Amino acid sequence: MPVIAIAVDPVTRIEGHLKAEIEVDTIGGVQQVSHVRMVGTLFRGFEKLLEGRDPRDAPILTSRICGVCPTSHAEVAVLALDQAGGVEVPAAGRILRNLVHGACFLESHILHFYLLSLPDYIKGPAMPPWTPGFEMDRRVDQATTDVFMAHYLQAINVRRKCHEMGALFGGKLPHTPAYIAGGFTAVPSSANLATFAAHLDDVIAFIETCYLPDAERLASLYSDYFRIGRGHGNLLCYGAFELNDSGSSKLFPAGRVLNGGGVQAMDAAAITEDATHSWYTDASNNQHPSVGDTVPQYPKDGGYSWLKAPRYGGVPYECGPLARMWSKGEYTNGISAMDRIRARAYEARLLAAEMKNWLGEIGNGDTVYAPWTNPGTATAAGLSEAPRGALGHWIGIEAGKISHYQVITPTCWTISPRDGAGQLGPLEQALMGTPIANVHHPVEALRVIHSVDPCLDCATHVVKAK
Amino acid sequence: MSTITRRDFLKYCGFSAAAIALTSSKLGFLAEALANPSAPSVIWLHGSSCTGCSVSLLNRIADAAGPAPTIKEVLTDAINLVYHATLMTPAGDPAVAELRRVYDGGNYILVLEGGVPTAFGGAPCIVYSLHGEETTYQRAVQEMSAKALAVVCVGTCASFGGIPASGSNPTGVVGVGQLTGRATINISGCPANPDWVVWAIVQLLTGTPVDLDADGRPTALYTETIHGASKQLVHDKCPRNPYVNALAPAEAAAFSDCDGKCLIQLGCRGPSTKSRCNGCWNILAPPSNPDPVDRWQNNWCIGVNAPCHGCVEKTFPGPESFYEPYSPPG
Repeated sequence: MPVIAIAVDPVTRIEGHLKAEIEVDTIGGVQQVSHVRMVGTLFRGFEKLLEGRDPRDAPILTSRICGVCPTSHAEVAVLALDQAGGVEVPAAGRILRNLVHGACFLESHILHFYLLSLPDYIKGPAMPPWTPGFEMDRRVDQATTDVFMAHYLQAINVRRKCHEMGALFGGKLPHTPAYIAGGFTAVPSSANLATFAAHLDDVIAFIETCYLPDAERLASLYSDYFRIGRGHGNLLCYGAFELNDSGSSKLFPAGRVLNGGGVQAMDAAAITEDATHSWYTDASNNQHPSVGDTVPQYPKDGGYSWLKAPRYGGVPYECGPLARMWSKGEYTNGISAMDRIRARAYEARLLAAEMKNWLGEIGNGDTVYAPWTNPGTATAAGLSEAPRGALGHWIGIEAGKISHYQVITPTCWTISPRDGAGQLGPLEQALMGTPIANVHHPVEALRVIHSVDPCLDCATHVVKAK
Repeated sequence: MSTITRRDFLKYCGFSAAAIALTSSKLGFLAEALANPSAPSVIWLHGSSCTGCSVSLLNRIADAAGPAPTIKEVLTDAINLVYHATLMTPAGDPAVAELRRVYDGGNYILVLEGGVPTAFGGAPCIVYSLHGEETTYQRAVQEMSAKALAVVCVGTCASFGGIPASGSNPTGVVGVGQLTGRATINISGCPANPDWVVWAIVQLLTGTPVDLDADGRPTALYTETIHGASKQLVHDKCPRNPYVNALAPAEAAAFSDCDGKCLIQLGCRGPSTKSRCNGCWNILAPPSNPDPVDRWQNNWCIGVNAPCHGCVEKTFPGPESFYEPYSPPG
């Protein structure tokens, strides 16, 4: 049987623009993915837009990198600015940042499971936007499908409620203006804290009674996906949700895992970006993001994506809830498409419970801001986590203006193209060997792709054009 | 899903009629439009965007009746949303084939989220492949605008270029109208307010003419009548402006003491921004267990002591700092 080439373009139910180029071959009697290229198909040049601007503008502009994780970019940008200005944010400012960021995590995880991922497994109503779907192995009986669909509709409400909670302190979501260098704009009131708590209770109830049981139900029906989509087995977590004012303690500690082993230390100095197969000149290859510069070159021999290839010590790593939960020692069941889905659900429960505790740590009228002064000249980095994984901003300030800005997003880590050493990107590796029953309806590939929660909006701005 | 009906959509429109100025006679037209099996489809394409406007649209989905209206009906029954890359189940060829089928028929409303990159021949944004050939957003916008019943630009990027077009504009982003030279209905905002998007789609479904300002924005959405006077600017409606609210405290001089105060010295662009943002965002219904609070909460940027950044304006973001007193260009 000849090798069959498939292009899935667009890959839908993600944020942004993604194309999957797949070749399917029959190996050992099993028709499976034998070659893959993941192609990021959007480039905006965000970092270049920041140059010459007031550094305080960074959280506002970088929020617009992604409408699904705007608070993650805002959080990371203000962490970098706090460091550049040498300011320690008051506890209430830190906690309000965490609460709004946390609300967006819960929103994103619930959105991902029900709206973006579930249609790979169950048959929706016979109407747009559910038709025409891929044909697939339907293992879910009608009664269970009805349960999933009922929860799908609830999920639409609950994810909205997460944003409304966040907007109590964020003003509006997506794209809150409340994250500022030195702290936060909103001052907590007793009424808003109580309202947030009441809504968080509703969200927690949904996670406990719907989301977690549904994730387990899916895992038992599609248990073969615990053996599909493993990839390199390398996990990376920068750490997120600071638990003290110095930032030395975090809810999710930084760490990394090589080939499914134990947790090792993470040192951001070991991060470089490779552009061999990206539509950028090779001149910037293998530089640290604090100095990395990127010049678009399209077309380019060997280039096939607008994403660059971040590497840690030259090695590809995936990131996301599984990496965070592994780093925290909360989930070490395995690395696979289904483990990613399950770890995400468990993380939602853990984070929501922690958010309840944070609410108790602040009170009416607490100070949220410490005066931030422009350092004139500085370099700084902000490292945290977006719902889909490790997010870093590196800033340089000269004469009081932004002179350098570089962003590495989680999707860049996970959906990176090959590097100069020929190592596949993490999702590319995860797709290799995925069995494909029907080459005209490669739903198995979509399941693996969606398990990493791609967010190409985030990934495809990562360039500094000249 | 079948429990959601077109009647529910009409109910939604009834709930939000006050907010979006729908008259009962228009609701009658809407009923007719929705009863018509040949009602237009909606094609929603993403360009140089962040998907934030789609996420914002989802924030108007609710089951409960009340001031927070629902748009679930819009996505399911009321509007035949044939193509939306974030929400739809199909991917790849089946999705694109359906899109092209509707395009060939011509009976569709084109909704565009994101500006149009024109550098590198449009290559910075590929929307889909058909028969192995990649189609740029630039080409799709040109082709599909030409046959659309109407073009709605959702958000500031599609309307005016927005953030991707700022600074050195590395990918040559332009707004849709600038690319095509055709009239568009611009629902600007970063993100677009979901009520305003629904309002525009309802007007089109009912065949109601929409009065636009010089920037292609519906005057009905960006202007408010307060005490009989037509008010456009955020500042002229702001409860922190002493000329609007005699009880408003003095202007804030620093973020360390700005709670409840006018933010004009901290960069607020309210005095040059046309919008009706006050209380328009993420309207929070009472919790299902309403104790200890039982009230609707209306949010907006200034309400959390954050300066207005003028995100609905053609001048957004501009090179000016968001945190220094603002004077608009020109």
